[in-house]
Amino acid sequence: MAEKFDHLEEHLEKFVENIRQLGIIVSDFQPSSQAGLNQKLNFIVTGLQDIDKCRQQLHDITVPLEVFEYIDQGRNPQLYTKECLERALAKNEQVKGKIDTMKKFKSLLIQELSKVFPEDMAKYRSVRGEDHPPS
Amino acid sequence: MKVINARHRDSAGAEGTMENFTALFGAQADPPPPPTALGFGAGKPPPPPPPPPGGGPGPAPPPTAASAPSGADKSAAGCGPFYLMRELPGSTELTGSTNLITHYNLEHAYNKFCGKKVKEKLSNFLPDLPGMIDLPGSHDNSSLRSLIEKPPILGGSFNPITGTMLAGFRLHTGPLPEQCRLMHIQPPKKKNKQKHKQSRTQDPVPPGDRLLISPTETPSDSDHKKKKKKKEEDPERKRKKKEKKKKKNRHSPDHPGVGSSQASSSSSLR
Repeated sequence: MAEKFDHLEEHLEKFVENIRQLGIIVSDFQPSSQAGLNQKLNFIVTGLQDIDKCRQQLHDITVPLEVFEYIDQGRNPQLYTKECLERALAKNEQVKGKIDTMKKFKSLLIQELSKVFPEDMAKYRSVRGEDHPPS
Repeated sequence: MKVINARHRDSAGAEGTMENFTALFGAQADPPPPPTALGFGAGKPPPPPPPPPGGGPGPAPPPTAASAPSGADKSAAGCGPFYLMRELPGSTELTGSTNLITHYNLEHAYNKFCGKKVKEKLSNFLPDLPGMIDLPGSHDNSSLRSLIEKPPILGGSFNPITGTMLAGFRLHTGPLPEQCRLMHIQPPKKKNKQKHKQSRTQDPVPPGDRLLISPTETPSDSDHKKKKKKKEEDPERKRKKKEKKKKKNRHSPDHPGVGSSQASSSSSLR
């Protein structure tokens, strides 16, 4: 799995480096650097071909659209991961609180119902397979 | 590579948690469809069967059990008067009551991203990328969003540029105008902050701990060295100064310079 990304990352880094070198050649162009420019242009074409080949290996990868928003705003995309984890933990705690509260409610309800309807609750416990009322 | 919207995923996740929630406490969440075969009203559940004579605990099958729809619970058949009762979810079922981050072994990721402060800028994530990448993509129309919304028209494949096509890339000699030099603009690196940090880290060292630090590393000693070097470099100036001092001392023996030198020596003794 990681190899796919490493492969793509390697190609992207090479491509960016080629673009950077092309920028340097173009920024102060000399007649002697025409051959180098032509070579760099063909390197870019082959770089694009390599990146395009990586696409086949990554068709099953899903990227959240929000990550692109972070990048477009010039923000670190790791902040998205951080916020996702924090949100997940907060939601997890919230749901756990609800479940715990409902469990307490259930035990209290059974306790009180056992006082008022002892026979019915004895049946209920026998159906549920609970010998003793939950505390 | 697919792009998904996390909001939909969140809502799906919420539904999932609600499913878990209803699975836990299913009887309260959604009542089973009314038994229309017996002619009860839509909003009224059928009354429980009369208890057996003598009040024995033997669970008599309820009348609704036979006509219960397929959606009703299977356990309803043998649960006596509790016709709405459903099976409890298994204890092995994954719910929100467990710490899902530890369950999926994400503690390392959590500590990595939430334990320390993540730097805000994109250039901190991609430090080797040339150009000014911290600016919003909408400024220079380079946003990824626009790439998704308006995908470029692509041909079949990338073909190498042949000799005749390369003729179109013959450039004029000379430097580019400044407004076109986008590649050379780099985000400013804050070197001053590092210096401040160094000085800050040195300052809060308690006096007792300063003794543990080797004397060659302390800034005061390095300053002394510099001063010594300066003194060694200029011996002529020293001589001149000494001569001046001697002359002054001859004229006025209670010169403040003497007092100050004494004071400095006394302070150094302290």
